[in-house]
Parts: sequence; structure tokens; C-alpha cells
Amino acid sequence: MTFLERDPLAPQAWFGNLPAAHRYTYGLAGERFFRALKDEGKILGSYCPKCDRTYVPATAFCERCLGELTDWRDMGLVGELHTFTVLYVDVEGRPLETPQIVGLVSFGDGGIVHFLHADPESLVIGMPMRAVLKPPHERQGSILDIQYFEPFQA
Amino acid sequence: MSDRVAIVGVGWSGFRPKTPDLSYKELMYEAAVRAYADAGVDPRRDVDSFVTVAEDFIEGTSIFDEYVPDQLGAALKPVHTITGDGLHGLATGVMLIRSGIARVVVVEGHSKASNLLTPDTILAYAQDPVLNRPLRLNTHFVAGMEMHRYLYESGTTREQCAAVVVKNRRNALRNPLAAYGADLSLEEVLFGPPLAWPLGKRETAATTDGAIVMVLAAEEVARALRQDPIWIRGIGWCNDSPSLESREWGNLPYIQEAAQMAYQQAGLRDPWNEVDVAEIDDTYAYKELQTLEALGFCGYGEAGSLLESGAFDLDGELPVNPSGGSLGVGHMLDATGLMRTLEAVFQLRGEAGAHQVEGAEVALVQSWRGVPTTSGAVAILSN
Ligand SMILES: [Zn+2]
Repeated sequence: MTFLERDPLAPQAWFGNLPAAHRYTYGLAGERFFRALKDEGKILGSYCPKCDRTYVPATAFCERCLGELTDWRDMGLVGELHTFTVLYVDVEGRPLETPQIVGLVSFGDGGIVHFLHADPESLVIGMPMRAVLKPPHERQGSILDIQYFEPFQA
Repeated sequence: MSDRVAIVGVGWSGFRPKTPDLSYKELMYEAAVRAYADAGVDPRRDVDSFVTVAEDFIEGTSIFDEYVPDQLGAALKPVHTITGDGLHGLATGVMLIRSGIARVVVVEGHSKASNLLTPDTILAYAQDPVLNRPLRLNTHFVAGMEMHRYLYESGTTREQCAAVVVKNRRNALRNPLAAYGADLSLEEVLFGPPLAWPLGKRETAATTDGAIVMVLAAEEVARALRQDPIWIRGIGWCNDSPSLESREWGNLPYIQEAAQMAYQQAGLRDPWNEVDVAEIDDTYAYKELQTLEALGFCGYGEAGSLLESGAFDLDGELPVNPSGGSLGVGHMLDATGLMRTLEAVFQLRGEAGAHQVEGAEVALVQSWRGVPTTSGAVAILSN
């Protein structure tokens, strides 16, 4: 049977959805990372001496050698723009009235993915970008405690 | 135990951007019946094990394994579903046969993408729930960021990426299974609507519906079943760190590793001279170029100019995506790897019709699970 042979009045489909809600546990490293962001306004990394790699956001273990990481480091708030995009659709796929500028700002061997506040024409891969945090009393211990990154002039 | 594994039958249903007339079970049934007829096997009697690839969120049900056996003739038989690309399913079939557990295995993948009413929302659930998802970004941002870094590191141009779209959608005009054949100009792609700059909407594959079923067999069974089995000479798979924060952005090391695994099994040393046709990832146009380099067909940053020279055209030195690829055929979600394998089987049997690559003897198939993943697989097939 083909589409053209179908009775247009016949019932065609049932509509349903899959509601799902979760709690995503931060874990030992995530809790420490987000507590430092919330309470001290710091971005922390964790260093693997064996692999000479610094993970940002900090992790409890090295994904290369699986060693436990105990050397935590304050990475500062200025990183380097590794790549960015200008996004024209929202999370549900609808056109955005104002496009979003999103980038990966490198810290150590990792980084933070976040919004960028700048004229996209002025952005260049490799330029320094500074994290702008929410005021301390508004921070809740999440990636949204960072409001955005902006170009940084030393 | 059998060392060599062959594809002895293929079947498909669709491919069409919308299939409001058929349920996914009917799509799978049609593809299965065709594959069994092509292989000359009775699924109830001859098939030892069945593998499907599916992702619960995309299917809209939990525990999709439960929805598989009936339409494949697999009730009261060994069946399992894996959440991976079709090539992961194919690899599983190869392992079942090479381990001696089965002699004949069926692998299935399908796409009922047109039934997904909130595809972007579902895809966003693949983002890291703690680090990335709170930003509520459309997941295409990962492709925009990867394309930008790839262009920056490799020197590839936006024009070269757009030329992939022109080539693949023109190839699709010759493929009756392809829904998105079109004769576009470079400008129509370059100056089309933006999606995640530098990535344009026309550089992003639209979805299509369909199902693909393949019958795999151990060598002695394969030779008994048909004159022209298609041999799976090597198959490899690999994942990088999934973290957006610590992965590589300009390169595809996981595709390099998957390729090396497949090449080693196949005894393939020089892909450029030994492979006759390649069906590879083009979910986003730039991926075709980045992937060609990761597969070792050329050096880093060289694929763009080779493309412009016509090397990857249907009549070029190495035809790439003669089917039209995902840009031309339509993206089939996790069935995509099997869609490409189906095309490779057509090419190696000499049954590809208007887009046949003359004298194709060795085909490479590669697939990627899409944003935000770093999950890929590579297979080498020969006739
Ligand atoms: Zn380490």
C-alpha cells in the first residue's frame, strides 16, 4: 500500500511523549569544582603529573592513565578562545531572533564551553577571554554561575 | 570458527523523508523480507542470531529490544539491540560469526525520523547534563565549533566545504533511493541560511525514513548461498573522550584509530590506491573532508583542494559518496552506517545503476554517531 492509496480519513497515528526528570550527581570532583566557583569565584583544574595534563573542569581521575588526581590548581579567570560559533537556532530548533555566540575557552588542557559577549567580527581564535561571574549572592554552584566570557585586555 | 564473514543478502525499505503510511515495524518487515529473499535464507530456520541498532529516546519507547523480534522473524531466537551506529551492529555480527557462536547473523537498522516531533530536544539530551546542557544550546553548536576549528587548523575553506554539498546532491540525482538530489550552485550553498556559523543549513543533512537489513554468513555458508558474496575484510571502531572541554577539535583521532583497526585486519596499507569507492560521513559537509584526511586518503588540509580538482567525483580517482551520502540520500540516524554499507554492496556487486563506479572491487565505509559524540567506525568490504 502506498501513501497515495490511503484513506485520508483513516486514523493515522497516536501522539505521546516521554517525560523524564533526573538528578545528576556532581560527584567528588564536581562538588569541589562548583563549590570553588560559587564560594571563591575560581575555576579549578586538576593536574596529572604522569601525563603532564591539566583537566578543566577538574576531574577526580586522569582519563589517559586512570590515575587519581590530587593536585588541584586555580586556573584564573582568563583563558584562550579555542573555537566559537554563531548559533541561529534555539535548543528546540526554532530560529533565534538574536543569534547566540558560543565558544570553548581553553584553560590548561581543557576549558569551559559558554556564551561569549562580543561582536563576533571582533573575535579571533587564540585571543584571551575572561569569565564574567554572577555576583556571589546569586551563584548557585552550577556552570551558570559564569554569565559569559568577554574579550580581555591585559 | 570462520575467519571470513560475508554479506550474503541485503534488503531495504524506503528511503523517503516521510513514511506516514507505514509503521516502523512494517518498514523493518519489508526490508527483512527483501534481505532474506536476496540471501535465499529462511529466517526461522537458517538465522542463528539477530542484531539491531536503536536508541530508546529516538524510538520513543524504553527497552527497544522488546519491539524487535516479531517483524524480523526473530521470536524465540537470540536477539539483542545495541545503541550504536549500524557499523557497530555490523561489527557485532562479524564477532558473532568469527567467535563461532553463529553461522548466519541478521543486522538491522532503521530510521523513522519523521515521527520525531522534537528531534532537537532529544539530541540536546546527549549533551553533558552538568557542564553543557544548562546553557540550553541547540546541539548543532558542536558542529559549528568543530567546523570553525577545523578550517582554522587545516586551512580548508568554506567554499571547499560547500563544494561537498554540490557534489553529493548532484550524485543523489542518479540514485533512486536518494530523496535530496539537487543541482545546486556553490553560491546557493554558501549564501544559504546560516545554522551555526561557519556552518550553513544547506551543509547539514536532512533526515529520511527507511530500514536496512543485512544477512551475514560464515565463509562456507556464504559460498553455498551465492556466487557473489561481499566480504567484510576489516571492521574497526573507536571513541575519543566525549568531553567537549578536553577532546581534539581540529582532528578526528578516533576515526584514525578505527581506520587503522580495519586496515590492519584487511591488510590494507595504501588506502588511496587500494580503495575504489568510499561511502563516508557527510552529516555536515566539512566532515567529509575532515574524515577523508583522518582515514589517511590524503594529508591534513589536502582534501579540500583534491575535491576541487574532481578527485572525489563519480568519475574521479576516488569516488566519495557516489550515493549522494547523507546530504543527498538523507540522514538515517543510527541506520546511517548500514545505509552506506548497502551502497557499498551495490557498488561491489555492480548493481549501483546510474551511479555505478566502474570496476569497484574494494569499498570503504565509515560512520559517525553525530554531535555531540566522538564515536566512529570503519569497514573495508570487497567482492
Ligand atoms: Zn594521567
